[in-house]
Amino acid sequence: MSPINPPDLRALQTGNADAWDEAFRWLWPAVFAVAQLKLQPFLPGEIEDTAIESLEELVEKVREVKAVEELKPLAASIAHHRAVSLLRQRFAKKRGAGKTESLDAPAADGEIRPEPASPGSPLDSLEQKELAERLQKSLAALKPPLGDVLADFFLHDLRYEEIAQKRGIAVGSVGVYLKRGLEALRRIWGRRENS
Amino acid sequence: MNSMNDERFFDLAMKVIARQAGDAERAELDALLARKPELRTEFARLQADARVAKDALPLANAMEARVGEFPAYARERLQTKVRQTFGRPAAAAKEPDRSFAWGLRWVLGLAAATAVVMLVVLPMFRAPTAPTIQLAMLESGGTRGSVSDEVALLKQTWQTTVVHSFSDTEALRAWETSPADAQRQPTVKIIYDATAGEVRVLGRWKEKPLDKTFLVERDFATTLKLVKDYVAEQTKR
Repeated sequence: MSPINPPDLRALQTGNADAWDEAFRWLWPAVFAVAQLKLQPFLPGEIEDTAIESLEELVEKVREVKAVEELKPLAASIAHHRAVSLLRQRFAKKRGAGKTESLDAPAADGEIRPEPASPGSPLDSLEQKELAERLQKSLAALKPPLGDVLADFFLHDLRYEEIAQKRGIAVGSVGVYLKRGLEALRRIWGRRENS
Repeated sequence: MNSMNDERFFDLAMKVIARQAGDAERAELDALLARKPELRTEFARLQADARVAKDALPLANAMEARVGEFPAYARERLQTKVRQTFGRPAAAAKEPDRSFAWGLRWVLGLAAATAVVMLVVLPMFRAPTAPTIQLAMLESGGTRGSVSDEVALLKQTWQTTVVHSFSDTEALRAWETSPADAQRQPTVKIIYDATAGEVRVLGRWKEKPLDKTFLVERDFATTLKLVKDYVAEQTKR
């Protein structure tokens, strides 16, 4: 298990080795999970290295951090960008090598999945800091059961009735939660379109 | 449009976007859009929102992961980075003489070059310390009701977020025999067959094959503990 409490930011910013030990253990599950999210189907052997490199990059950037709450979103954002960048490099190499086979990567389960890092994903085009800020805001905005209902519907493909049963809410409330959750996400992630 | 119609439009739009709508619901939405063309803009906006949700939610969820042990071997590398970034506590401020400084520069330069060579060359010969664990689950007929608990237990036991799910044995066999990421660590595949009530372990570690089946006799957690112990025993250095 990782430590529950966040590390002391001031100690991190002065290079305190003990504080960093604690920070690495605290941040590890998140950076590993983020790297795994992108790389597991295509480059599972690179997950751990990407997570470690992300923490190295975080060490360089910690002086820019103003509050300890920013640390985890920043680390996650770094891991996400590193994973996307690695996938782009690998797929670009494949193209550059003149291979004629599909760019779709065979997944571990034998299925063909589309090329990752496809252009147009709103997350991939955001700067590291911007992505970190929006992730932090999303976590704050999607308090239970908003985030759970959104995940049930969009990630686990559950129907209204199944979500209602799972979360112990009325079927009629599922749409309400979905609407509120999407509006919250729109406020956080949609701003870029207007800026 | 009154609020009842608003709700209906939203629910229909959600179901169509998530491909959960039947023919009647799709036709109902089409009719609504034909009657009220201004809803087309809102529908397009909901489609964009859904895409953001699908992209952002997994990342936000991953960020909240609490389980996963920081690998001990990474500590020194990261602490070196900390020392390089913040420096060591200030040493004596006395300025060395010029010849000594030049000599020191040569020594440091040589040390740095050696370190670079070691960093590049050593990983090429580094033996993997642990296999990559891949998890899969076979559900036939959906007879078991606690599948999500079992998936959660699998993930928790091996501290991973991915469990490949199969509903037919052919696809599972293909997955079992597909090569892993060959250039990196060897892989051990752990397959939970929910219908047969067994957990299979397949793989290879240091030229030694792993192939064992564990029946879920008492409870799933106990079986997974046995499987984990077996994998640890077989893959210890």
